[in-house]
Amino acid sequence: MAGVELSGVSKRFGDVSVIDNVSLEIAQGEFVVFLGPSGCGKSTLLRLVAGLEQLDEGAILIDGNRVDNLPPGKRDVAMVFQHYALYPHMTVRDNLAFGLRNTGVSEDEIGGRIATAVEKLEIGDFLQRRPGQLSGGQKQRVAIARAIVKQPKLFLFDEPLSNLDAALRARTRIELAQLHQQLRTTMIFVTHDQVEAMTLADRIVVINERRIEQIGTPMEVYRRPATSFVASFVGTPKINLVPVTAANAGGLAAARMPDGTLLETTIPWDEALARDGATLGLRPENVRITGATQGQAPATARVVERLGERTIVYAALADGTLLTTEDRGDSTVQPGDEVGLAIDGNAAHLFAADGTGHHAGAA
Amino acid sequence: MSSAAVRRVPRAAVIGVTMAAGLMVLPMLWVLILSLKDSSALMADTTTAFSPPWTLVNYANIVGDGQVAVWLLNSTIVSLLMTGGVLFLSSLAGYGFARLEFPGRNILFIVVLFGLAIPEQAVIIGRHQLFAAAEMHNTYTALVMPGLSAPFGVFLMTQYFRAIPREIDEAAMLDGASRFRVFWRVLLPLTVPAQATLGIFTFFHAWNDYWWPLISATNRDMLTLTVGIAASQQNFAQAEGLGFLMAQAVFAGLPVLIIYVIFQKYIVRAVAGAAGQ
Repeated sequence: MAGVELSGVSKRFGDVSVIDNVSLEIAQGEFVVFLGPSGCGKSTLLRLVAGLEQLDEGAILIDGNRVDNLPPGKRDVAMVFQHYALYPHMTVRDNLAFGLRNTGVSEDEIGGRIATAVEKLEIGDFLQRRPGQLSGGQKQRVAIARAIVKQPKLFLFDEPLSNLDAALRARTRIELAQLHQQLRTTMIFVTHDQVEAMTLADRIVVINERRIEQIGTPMEVYRRPATSFVASFVGTPKINLVPVTAANAGGLAAARMPDGTLLETTIPWDEALARDGATLGLRPENVRITGATQGQAPATARVVERLGERTIVYAALADGTLLTTEDRGDSTVQPGDEVGLAIDGNAAHLFAADGTGHHAGAA
Repeated sequence: MSSAAVRRVPRAAVIGVTMAAGLMVLPMLWVLILSLKDSSALMADTTTAFSPPWTLVNYANIVGDGQVAVWLLNSTIVSLLMTGGVLFLSSLAGYGFARLEFPGRNILFIVVLFGLAIPEQAVIIGRHQLFAAAEMHNTYTALVMPGLSAPFGVFLMTQYFRAIPREIDEAAMLDGASRFRVFWRVLLPLTVPAQATLGIFTFFHAWNDYWWPLISATNRDMLTLTVGIAASQQNFAQAEGLGFLMAQAVFAGLPVLIIYVIFQKYIVRAVAGAAGQ
């Protein structure tokens, strides 16, 4: 039985469609991340599951029970909001207890659940404080604790890390992953940050312009992006997308790059690649810097970013096309240096004119 | 405000403000000192106020005068009822305008705001006729009811509710709270500063209101303190009962002073807010 099932879900605000016929199954205990740019509809989809928005078409089931006709409080879900949404006039303890009191849980039981959550999230020192007396990180822990004490069937997280500084965000991310491992409760997490998605998710649902672009494990989404949008949205530094002319080379696709370089790939040939031009996708780690006379394509280093364990080199092909490439951490490349580019054709992606991805191996 | 910020206030400004405050307080001190003198002594020469003997006889007369006690009670009842009513209605209306979706909401809100622009003088005759026709003059209902239409209160509370993030309501709804419980247990407590501001101003307005009670309350037992004192002024004649009159003025001002002392924090915040903080 699916933990959560969305079937043909659509939502409009007036005449504007914000979610268009979305269907999705989330397994019991799965950690799913909705990933997409601002305004793509991911938060709306989460709010539909929470019951904070009413859907126009379709159905939502949690644990096999249809819930889209139930108010938020009856869906057995807990949500952690982007801005915490703690009750400012209540102490931390009362914040945790409020929802339980509403549903008639006994005071003994409330005390027990709060004690467990407090221990898990290490918030015992400020149970009697009000949210205004807490730091951002502490507020976030309280917000998570408030969700935990409800012992819901489903946790919903709406960009909960976006208000934290970089160090705290990384720490909270790890804690959330540990929390999921402990609780094994179904979780849906909304973010526009692909690092959060890649590190937390069992599966990522990439959403763009009201629709699901791809559902897959983080590595599936990274290695076999369904569309050029997914390819460009997932991965740092961003994938290189270069317009090419694709041709059939003995059943496999070969791509002629703008500077004339012919790149042989192991992507099975598809006639769709020949129509209206194709786009070549190359991850920076698959375009390595070599000696000036080596590799498939000569280039000129324009900008060099030294990150320690690796060096990112922005290199221009002969026609001026700029590619993001990688070199070793101790790279000696300087801006203006002539270099060669070793491109791994086996790791290349080709996108047809409609954006559909083609990859090496199984189609 | 940090202590560093306090130190930065120029000395001249402190002196200027202190002098201005002194000027404001002088008439009040004059009233207070006159109230502590026997009226007969003041009849001869008011400058005797600066020399002993001082007496509390005027205050004793007030306490002994049942009429003043009745007016005080009337003012208290009217002010409290009006304050409570305005807070209750403005909170509900403010929540409705800020959080509920219903047809004509924006137009209705504009209509309420128009109420801010209509002076009381413009409607006083119609209001008098209405209450006269309903034979409601000389009742607490008549004294309180007109004050319950408080467009400023509705406006203030609407803006305050709007400023509360909707995520708070949503969190409470997900916590299984009914709409009423969200309003009562979550949102309303968050509006306490606005409630305090509105409550204080409404109470002051009701306590100091003179015109409508003057029109509506003609029965001596239904007068409020302001109207009652004014009536005393005519009856006693200023020269003969000056000490008693001043004691009445002090007595009338005491509740306001007490309210101010208790809610000083909110008043200062409200005034600072109005100054564009």
